[in-house]
Amino acid sequence: MTAYKRQFYPGNSTPAKNRRRVMDPKVKLKKLRDVSMDDVVRIMGHRNPGEDYKSIHPPIEEGKEPDCPIRKLVEPIEGAKKGDRIRYIQFTDSVYFAPISPYQRAWMYLSRYRGLDTGTLSGRQIIEMRERDLEKLAKEMIDNETFDPALTGIRGATVHGHACRLDENGLMFDAWQRYVWDKDKKEVVYVKDQVAIPLDRKISVGKPASMADLKKRTTIFRADGVDMRDDKEVTAYGLRIHKLRTLGGYQPFNVKDV
Amino acid sequence: MLSEPTVEYAGIPLPEVEIFSNALLSAETTEKVLNALDPIEHIRQINMTGESISKNLNSGPGKGIPNNHSERKVIKVGGKDVELRFQVGAFYIELNVENQEMLDEAVEKIRAACDANMPRGFSLTVGRYSKYRKTLRDYK
Repeated sequence: MTAYKRQFYPGNSTPAKNRRRVMDPKVKLKKLRDVSMDDVVRIMGHRNPGEDYKSIHPPIEEGKEPDCPIRKLVEPIEGAKKGDRIRYIQFTDSVYFAPISPYQRAWMYLSRYRGLDTGTLSGRQIIEMRERDLEKLAKEMIDNETFDPALTGIRGATVHGHACRLDENGLMFDAWQRYVWDKDKKEVVYVKDQVAIPLDRKISVGKPASMADLKKRTTIFRADGVDMRDDKEVTAYGLRIHKLRTLGGYQPFNVKDV
Repeated sequence: MLSEPTVEYAGIPLPEVEIFSNALLSAETTEKVLNALDPIEHIRQINMTGESISKNLNSGPGKGIPNNHSERKVIKVGGKDVELRFQVGAFYIELNVENQEMLDEAVEKIRAACDANMPRGFSLTVGRYSKYRKTLRDYK
């Protein structure tokens, strides 16, 4: 018997291909900008750059762990070894062709990383993780192609805006205005951290991508972009799951001829 | 549900023009649009809607500190101060007109005013979109 090969997502349309791309851990996502680690830490606002990590339990190496087969089996991530606190970062993705949307973020995180907990809501996606690992992941997520300065927001609370019209500069609405448009540089600049506490200095996250470029990069199906119904395989896959769930409940394997 | 009508009932449901912007407007653009609408005759009232912007942070660790949102400010319309609490996305303009010609004329003037001041575009429709007289709920 040959080993099962992961297929990630069906379909041949652009969003379907992009979904496969972000979920496949073998694909290295493009790095589009370089926001320094200190600035990422400032935007998250959990600790000051350079400050020690606070811990909630002694390092695992001290050997006070109970005898447990699962603990022996699972290699802890760096932050867990050191006993870091669990902290979070939360991204909001606009419906206007943001590079990724919350649901695919969950798929992507769980497919690519270990040791995180993620929660999906309609417009936002939270990642909870040990602090030092979270910081590395947050930097990757801000630097890579799944982040767009105008259409992705880093918002810990009052995330409202993902389904609002964009403003005159093409930025997603934010009631707390954590980021502003720099007219001269034509860049998006963070002036507040993710819970809207003013930052000591402005942090630039670069230029937003053009709408034409975003339409090629997005994982979002939209009636005015690529309609999900135009991708037959994706539609069939959705209908199949729906049918299995409706007819089979928690026993979809018992439904025949679907 | 909307509370009481903002102005007294005119006796008949007057027509309303809905200007629905393609982009959320900055305070500066809102000011320009309102000042362009100000001299147009037969406008009985203008209501605006949009995305609410709080004065202070209302949750999180920074609860209570000022929000400092650049679009939440006092603008000048026809010499009067108007406090914006929203990033405006739509205008509802009630017209005190008596016949179709008066309506058409006013609508064309409104369209011209918006064309000149809303570069990201808008859609304009005529109808009745808001409450114009008290209903049972308003008598408590």
